[in-house]
Amino acid sequence: MSIRIGIMSFAHLHAEAYIQNLRAIPGVEMIGLADDDPQRGEHFARLFGAHRFRSYEELLEARPDGVIICSENSRHLPLVKLAAEAGAHILCEKPLATTAQDAEAIVRTCRQAGVLLMTAFPMRFSTPLLEVKSRLDGGELGQVYCFNSSNQGELPKKHRAWFVDKALAGGGAIMDHTVHLVDIMRWYLGSEVTEVYAVANRIFHADEVEVETGGMVWVTFENGVFATIDCSWSRPPYWPSWGGLSFEMVTDRGAVWVDAFRQNLTVFTHALQRPYWAFWGSDPNQAMIEDFVQAIRAQRPPRVSGEDGLRAVEVVEAAYRSVESGQPVHLERRQV
Amino acid sequence: MRVGIAGVGFMGSTHAAAWAETEAQIVGFVAETVEEAQPIAQQYGARVFPDFASMLEAVDVVDICTPTHLHVPMILEAAARGKHIICEKPLALSVEDALEAVRVCRRAGVQLYVAHVVRFFPEYALAKQIIAQGQIGQVATLRLLRGSYRPKKPVGNWFLDETKSGGILMDLMIHDMDYARWVAGEVESVFARKVSAVHQGSPVDYGLVILKHRNGAISHVAGAWAYPPPTFRTRFELSGDRGMIEFDSQATSPIESLIIKPHAEAPDVGLPSSPVRESPYTTEIKEFYVALKEGKTPRVTAEDGLAAVQIAAAAVQSAQSGKVVYLESLGERLL
Repeated sequence: MSIRIGIMSFAHLHAEAYIQNLRAIPGVEMIGLADDDPQRGEHFARLFGAHRFRSYEELLEARPDGVIICSENSRHLPLVKLAAEAGAHILCEKPLATTAQDAEAIVRTCRQAGVLLMTAFPMRFSTPLLEVKSRLDGGELGQVYCFNSSNQGELPKKHRAWFVDKALAGGGAIMDHTVHLVDIMRWYLGSEVTEVYAVANRIFHADEVEVETGGMVWVTFENGVFATIDCSWSRPPYWPSWGGLSFEMVTDRGAVWVDAFRQNLTVFTHALQRPYWAFWGSDPNQAMIEDFVQAIRAQRPPRVSGEDGLRAVEVVEAAYRSVESGQPVHLERRQV
Repeated sequence: MRVGIAGVGFMGSTHAAAWAETEAQIVGFVAETVEEAQPIAQQYGARVFPDFASMLEAVDVVDICTPTHLHVPMILEAAARGKHIICEKPLALSVEDALEAVRVCRRAGVQLYVAHVVRFFPEYALAKQIIAQGQIGQVATLRLLRGSYRPKKPVGNWFLDETKSGGILMDLMIHDMDYARWVAGEVESVFARKVSAVHQGSPVDYGLVILKHRNGAISHVAGAWAYPPPTFRTRFELSGDRGMIEFDSQATSPIESLIIKPHAEAPDVGLPSSPVRESPYTTEIKEFYVALKEGKTPRVTAEDGLAAVQIAAAAVQSAQSGKVVYLESLGERLL
């Protein structure tokens, strides 16, 4: 029996990847999409030759097994509520919400409705990162002391204007680019963040946006490991790719340098007149979407949970408090 | 110009080679013992002095290349005798000591130059120039990394004694803190953490520092004595609102050796080494020589050395307290 999946909103550009990932999986029926912006919905329905439901309710009436929610960050909660009420399992784009309160409500809603909830952290499925995790668990790398990490990118405005709108995105670079690395480190360490320090500025694209475009977030874990995360939108638009995710992991045996997006060809074309990187590594999105589908099929928890999403949002919220106060802040975790 | 060099370790011998390329005369050396200094004195046809005081009588300039905790007492002694001073970085281990050194030299009317050699490395100097020309606009984020292995010493490894070297934050990472301040201006606050010798058998020190500059720029400085010898690697990424500059010593290394070495050995201290016509240490000493001879201000001054110590000392303090350390202006305290 095929697994039927719908996409709720194409506000986030990742929906454009996910729809293709879904179609690449045998036994999955991509039933269509709905969008509260009918023009956007129509545009992508046409682009991908997909059915467009006139409303989210209509999509849910078609009884999908699961939905992927790719609305603006601050609009995840209402869509989660609708989907959970309809009994659909949910893969929600990151960050899970723009506030810890909303993120907690999302986790609780899904738990009460008895539907699976997965946070879209594709880096958990990155093959270089999985390899490091396996070497770490195998004891080959020693005991972790700290991380020096980066998830920099270009200004995402060219993809979607709302990415730089505080009301919809929840913030700027810190909101956009802190959660992946926080999640990777929680996954690697099996420990939770207890303290957060952050600094931010608005020098890149100062004349274009109101939110912070430069930022560094410092997290300390319960087990004593500490880490810096450069979340800046510091990559110029003519950088060879959108940005990247890399880190140095320091252990009692030395250090490991890891770049999740280094498996590239460097391509020079007359058309572009500058080099760009063509990624030939394994697509982590594909593996993530497959896990979501398999979790539904087997009625087992997905490999990334809603709580994982909540924990990352808590760190982001603490980072903004630290930017305000100029001092490290203690993080109180919500009970779910 | 008669020069005397105090200290005959790696830095003393490197500076000696650099002085030999100027018109100054290397009069002699002083070290902990006379025996230690004899080979290098012979090499340069110079004397070995039994102690620092007797060397001061015979020179116009002293070049202090001793372990860090000895810098300030030697500076004070040299200034009292009216001698100009080149001092290896860090200038001092504390802000109070650095302030005293700068004040005393000012009052004595002697020049004091601090050897922050990174400013003389061609890749760092060129990046600074490109930024000064406005090519990448206003700098917003700076990432700097300097990584090697723990310094070794045949006896008495003062590098690993934090009361003598200040540890990795003060000894190694001060290079990039000074560079960050040179590029992005005065520092407002410092937050730092480090790991060091967590357990026996782990030869790993690693520090992370975030600097907030007064103009809003943010610097991220990482320093490692954690890599396998003979690794020495530096990287930087300087991003502005109109462009960015990247550098990686490994990626820009013009030679990659795949020669099999049955008995691979590493020097006591890891060193950056891209083949260039003139050693950056020589560029540095030549600039100091010209500054002393012609009264020109070199690219790094005593006040820069003081400011670097202030930042590094704040990093040490932050790493101990877990708090953000805000820097005070030292201007008035210099008078």
